Amino acid sequence: MNDLLKELYQEIILDHGQDPRNFGECENYNKSAKGHNPLCGDKVNVTLFLDQDGMIKEIKFSGEGCAISIASASLMTEKLKNKSLNEADKIFNDFTNLVKGQTDELKLLTEDDSLYALKGVNAFPMRVKCATMAWHTYKSAVNE
Amino acid sequence: MDKPILSPNIKDDFPILSRKILNKDLIYFDTAASAQKPKSVIDEINDFYNNHYSNVSRGIHTLSVESTFKYEDSRKKVKNFINAKSENEIIFTKSATESINLVAQTFCEKFLKKEDEVILSIMEHHSNLVPWYFLRQKYGIVIKFAMIDEEGKIDLEHFSSLINDKTKIASITHLSNVFGTITTNEVVKICREKGIYIMFDGCQAAAHSKIDVQNLDCDFYVFSGHKTYGPSGVGVLYGKENILKDLPPYQGGGGMINEVTLDDVSFADLPAKYEAGTPPLVEAYGLGIAIDYMNSIGIENIMKHEQELSNYALDKMLEMEFVKIYGKGKEKSSIISFNLNQIHAHEVASFLDVEGIAVRAGHHCCQPLMKHLNINATSRISFGVYNNIKQIDIFLDALNKCKDFFKR
Repeated sequence: MNDLLKELYQEIILDHGQDPRNFGECENYNKSAKGHNPLCGDKVNVTLFLDQDGMIKEIKFSGEGCAISIASASLMTEKLKNKSLNEADKIFNDFTNLVKGQTDELKLLTEDDSLYALKGVNAFPMRVKCATMAWHTYKSAVNE
Repeated sequence: MDKPILSPNIKDDFPILSRKILNKDLIYFDTAASAQKPKSVIDEINDFYNNHYSNVSRGIHTLSVESTFKYEDSRKKVKNFINAKSENEIIFTKSATESINLVAQTFCEKFLKKEDEVILSIMEHHSNLVPWYFLRQKYGIVIKFAMIDEEGKIDLEHFSSLINDKTKIASITHLSNVFGTITTNEVVKICREKGIYIMFDGCQAAAHSKIDVQNLDCDFYVFSGHKTYGPSGVGVLYGKENILKDLPPYQGGGGMINEVTLDDVSFADLPAKYEAGTPPLVEAYGLGIAIDYMNSIGIENIMKHEQELSNYALDKMLEMEFVKIYGKGKEKSSIISFNLNQIHAHEVASFLDVEGIAVRAGHHCCQPLMKHLNINATSRISFGVYNNIKQIDIFLDALNKCKDFFKR
């Protein structure tokens, strides 16, 4: 099997793609946004609860899309839960650098981080959007 | 398998097909998005720029005369290719999309008023939806959508039932870019009986079937250069001469005028009336060379070849229980849309890409149709003259590998 594909579809991606975590809508949320990739029709809805101290206490997503977009959204919710907006911002930047293959730029993420599994996307430029859609949607939710 | 209709060596006419994708031989199954270009088209375009290029129509000097001759000669080729009556009926545009916008806007200006009706179908490409949506938003035109049957063809009974006194024009795909299904002449008959105009979006049909606009008796027919083995940047609009004469101009500019004063303007005759500005002259010339290329193979042979490939692929894919085909009818050409059980079309396309196989995945610019089918994407293979049975076998094998890889 081709190494690029193995790299792209690591077990953790297939797992989260088939069985996404934090799927659905937060019961009490105060931030939300919808994302849409007009090129392929994939959709995502991100809801989250931000407390007074700027901590993401709860975050969930729903939507339809390919394994990469679903897994990325699922891993994102795991990663951002109980993070401050400031930390989340850094993770966001790291993640977008990671999927573009710019690993020199990483500030927080390390190779043993679950998000690192999405690094393989950088070999498939057309799939970068699949991986980042949920993240940009999160961004619009907190910036709304 | 009997002797193939087209020689497998046809592949060698296309320089790009000798390249490798990740060390695999490229198998190009995305002709419906855009066809690859034969060497003759590429070489002739180079020769045009290297030896003959200048602006067309107004020049006196040698290069302008040569360029004008080449441009107009291509118009003749297009006229013969679709059997139009006159070169005045062939307008070069920048794309089929522009051709449709041209008809929608000028037809509206002349014939449509608030609450008049236009018929499209639910399987139209966005390019044959949005130009009409503009008219709906701006002028209150009503759009009705013909449904499709189980095979993915226009439901003629439903189509016919939509037509009333307010209906003025129908605009329908001649060959569906999702299903590969062909719209029969019956649609035109219905329009003739009910006295409405009809336009065909022939983007997919033009490279894969014999187009005869006189026999079809349609009022407008559009197609693009790049899907018919020609360069990108050029499209064609065919319109019956008496109708085009009657319609107002589309864009204003150089070349489309007869006389301009500070107070007034009169317009050029057809076809110049619709070709404002410097046209895509080299691209139009390249399209003519592409038509020569298709004629040298023979449209009948191309049709038979692609039918054979489609039937072969379809039969095998129908045997694969994890493959779902969209539009199963036999009367289809060169295009197969499908999904693998529980695997998103993106995954299929990326998987096939590393096998060297180029397929399309997504909504194919047909979001309303995807919604109707209750899916958000399909994978699509589409064939051209350069494809062969061996490539389909490699593709089928890769589908099995893909299923195993994703453990479905």
